Amino acid sequence: MKTLALQMRLVAWTAVLSSALAFLAGTAAQAQEPVCSVWLIESSRFMKVPFGAFMPDRAFVPGSTNPQNSIPTVDLPVNVGVIKCGNELILYDTGWKQQEYLRMTGSEHWAPIGDQLRALGFNAADVTKVVIGHAHWDHAGQLSDLPNAVLYVQREELRAIEWALNYPEPHIRAINSDPGGCNRTPACGYMPLTMDEVYGKVLRGKAVVVDGDMEILPGVRIHAVFRAHTAGSQLLEVPTSIGKLVFGSDAFSSYEAIRDWMVANVQQTDSVQQFLAYEKCYKITGGYNNCVAAHEPLSYTDKYPITKNSWVALNGGRMAEIALAPGERSRKP
Amino acid sequence: MLLAGVVIALAATALAALLHETRPPAAPHRVNVAISSRPQPPALTVEQERYATTLWAVHREVTPSAVAMSFAGIAYQTEGRNARELARRIEPLAKFFHDAEGRVRALSAPASLSETHERYIEAMALYARAAGEMLTFTEDGDARHLADAHRMGVTASEDLLRAGEVLWPGQYKPH
Repeated sequence: MKTLALQMRLVAWTAVLSSALAFLAGTAAQAQEPVCSVWLIESSRFMKVPFGAFMPDRAFVPGSTNPQNSIPTVDLPVNVGVIKCGNELILYDTGWKQQEYLRMTGSEHWAPIGDQLRALGFNAADVTKVVIGHAHWDHAGQLSDLPNAVLYVQREELRAIEWALNYPEPHIRAINSDPGGCNRTPACGYMPLTMDEVYGKVLRGKAVVVDGDMEILPGVRIHAVFRAHTAGSQLLEVPTSIGKLVFGSDAFSSYEAIRDWMVANVQQTDSVQQFLAYEKCYKITGGYNNCVAAHEPLSYTDKYPITKNSWVALNGGRMAEIALAPGERSRKP
Repeated sequence: MLLAGVVIALAATALAALLHETRPPAAPHRVNVAISSRPQPPALTVEQERYATTLWAVHREVTPSAVAMSFAGIAYQTEGRNARELARRIEPLAKFFHDAEGRVRALSAPASLSETHERYIEAMALYARAAGEMLTFTEDGDARHLADAHRMGVTASEDLLRAGEVLWPGQYKPH
């Protein structure tokens, strides 16, 4: 009996000590986790997109007095995240490249990624990592202008595109939208030049093909959210002085959609997976305010609070300073 | 006195917080931004439209094939560097682009689109040469062939977009 009591006391003390050690280790790990600085830049803006094409629940209904359905069109920014963690400079998404061969009439504010980074006091050559939320043409462009950056792309994203390319039905493997082309089919929107640039990174040994989740720096984590927008969509968790942020590319196309639990920018998307991606942001950040959306029309206004510390930069495009690490200087003019 | 001041300040803060929290959410509104000032591309004539429609039948197969060439390279680099597998993937693409060049060359383009027509033919030829370079790599293992092929592929892809700007300016939508 006495031995049993002794053993129980031993077990109890072991449990108490283990808990204390675990707590201390967790605290130490948190203390060691670096804090990053974060800016958001508007790579370009697609003008006058029918609201219903972006968010079906917000489709314009003529004569409706419901504010949810009274806005005919919206202007969609293409947001790029700029993340500085110590000596590492990371981009989340890279926008697209408006040239004489790709005018995209109806879009505004585009400026070269190098010029936009320079406006923040950075050099394109200093970008060390690029995480693309997915490989659509308007999110994975300009890679060749970031010569030293290592690209992070999900294997599932590549696998799904290639699967579609081999589909026996021509319209299912279509890349182009108009006239009479693809809309939501699996290879739609992965234009040849964009995939050339992805291949260029692979060819130069500057690409990491990611399988699922991955920590790319202490506290900076890729979260796979397959089919939340495309087959191999991925989020990026970033620790900052205002808490954790989660960048979502088009899995998080709209801040309002995340807040109000609506689908947005449904392309090669499973709506349940998009909601699960929203939920992941709620869990990681403790709410919806730190979820960084790619195309939120309210970006750079106080209606999307995390982006409200903004200014007009190149060609009318906006930038926002979201969070600064201790000792990091403000880049806001 | 000091205590009273602190109490008043706390009460004011609590009231402000309460008002803030109970305020109805602002109605979503449209962001005011400048209306696009870029000129719309001119509409195609009937003759040009007929050419664009005929070429589209080729173009919609060219784009997946161009992407497939990039993927053959990606697969080679990331899945065991199997030269025989690379050749297996590239051989049909080399034939496709060779045939596509012939198909486009056989089309009758209106004089106003002769530059676009020639550019498209050149893009097919470049893709075919790029495929040839990749096949040469599978025989001699010289990585410079892959770099050359990639450069050619990029140029051809830019030319596809140049032709598309004239013929199908809406071929890519916001994604």
